[in-house]
Amino acid sequence: MDRLTKRRLAIVPAYNEERSVTKVVEEIKHSLPQVETLVVNDGSTDLTSEKAKASGAIVLDLPFNLGIGGAMQAGYKYAYEKGYNIAIQVDGDGQHDPKEIPKLLEALEEKQVDLAIGSRFIGDMAEYKTSAMRMLGISILSKVISFIVGQKVTDPTSGFRAANRKAIQLFASNYPQDYPEPEALIFLSKSGLKMLEVPVKMNQRYAGESSITKVRSIYYMVKILLAIFVDCFKRKSV
Amino acid sequence: MLIKIQIIIGTLSVILFVITFEMIRKGRLREEYSILWLFTGVATLVFSLWPQFFLSQFITRITGLYYLSAVVMIAFFFLLLIVLHFSVVISELTDRNKELAQRHALLELEFNEFQKRYPPPDAVSPSGH
Repeated sequence: MDRLTKRRLAIVPAYNEERSVTKVVEEIKHSLPQVETLVVNDGSTDLTSEKAKASGAIVLDLPFNLGIGGAMQAGYKYAYEKGYNIAIQVDGDGQHDPKEIPKLLEALEEKQVDLAIGSRFIGDMAEYKTSAMRMLGISILSKVISFIVGQKVTDPTSGFRAANRKAIQLFASNYPQDYPEPEALIFLSKSGLKMLEVPVKMNQRYAGESSITKVRSIYYMVKILLAIFVDCFKRKSV
Repeated sequence: MLIKIQIIIGTLSVILFVITFEMIRKGRLREEYSILWLFTGVATLVFSLWPQFFLSQFITRITGLYYLSAVVMIAFFFLLLIVLHFSVVISELTDRNKELAQRHALLELEFNEFQKRYPPPDAVSPSGH
């Protein structure tokens, strides 16, 4: 009965993550046996899909690469249409520790928010190591996003999140494409939904590179600030 | 000098108009995308036929542009409109393409699950008879 009323889905977007996807799926299964796992294979050219299927996940194979935004939205559409109550975003590269998921779920249930965001930068976990360049970028972005959504957001690029039914519905119908993590927060706040940050520990990646390399980080910042600026003038969705 | 430019621009605009019209007729260009192209052809043709009236008198006086540069400017403006129009069309198509890809993936997953649960009768026993 509990399974019917509280169905939970972990959405794992994966693009050429054959080296890490099995481990991610198995860790989710191991630490949260009641959570089902959906791997969204974003047009990978390697064995991501086969490995994910073999490890027991539900696999959604996109016919070609849509980018992280399109892949995440496909996952949210699945969660919405299959009637899941809670969707948890977990990266396919192993950066997010599934053992931290209960902290996100707890925030959703006890604090009555619509989206719980795992943050690397609050609480005693603040020693997460990253380059000075990225730290600067994240801190600028954090100030801009905090100002727009009217509450403090320390880690706006974190893709480690848990969404309730209301947020699932919003993201299934409308999800940003290019820089989905920070922009999704603006969508959320514009639609009047509530969010809360939770301190989590993140691993260094098992495999693969961040989608943001050092060289491109300035370009990324300019583009993302522009996208955020445009979002502020968009008509309210839904 | 003016008559040379008139003939060249007039001929070019007639060619543009005919090509656009032919492409619509053969169904290679959809009407909604061709209206701006037809306008461009008609506008440059009209300017080449009555340069005195449209340019020497009116546009030249308010803009200070000479005949050839004025025609080039007008053609350039129409091209800008066409390119902008194409960007809008491409954005719409990209969005629909994304929706289709997501729907396709969701349906494929649904179909595979369905087939696993209710295998088609001829696929039940691949090792049999």
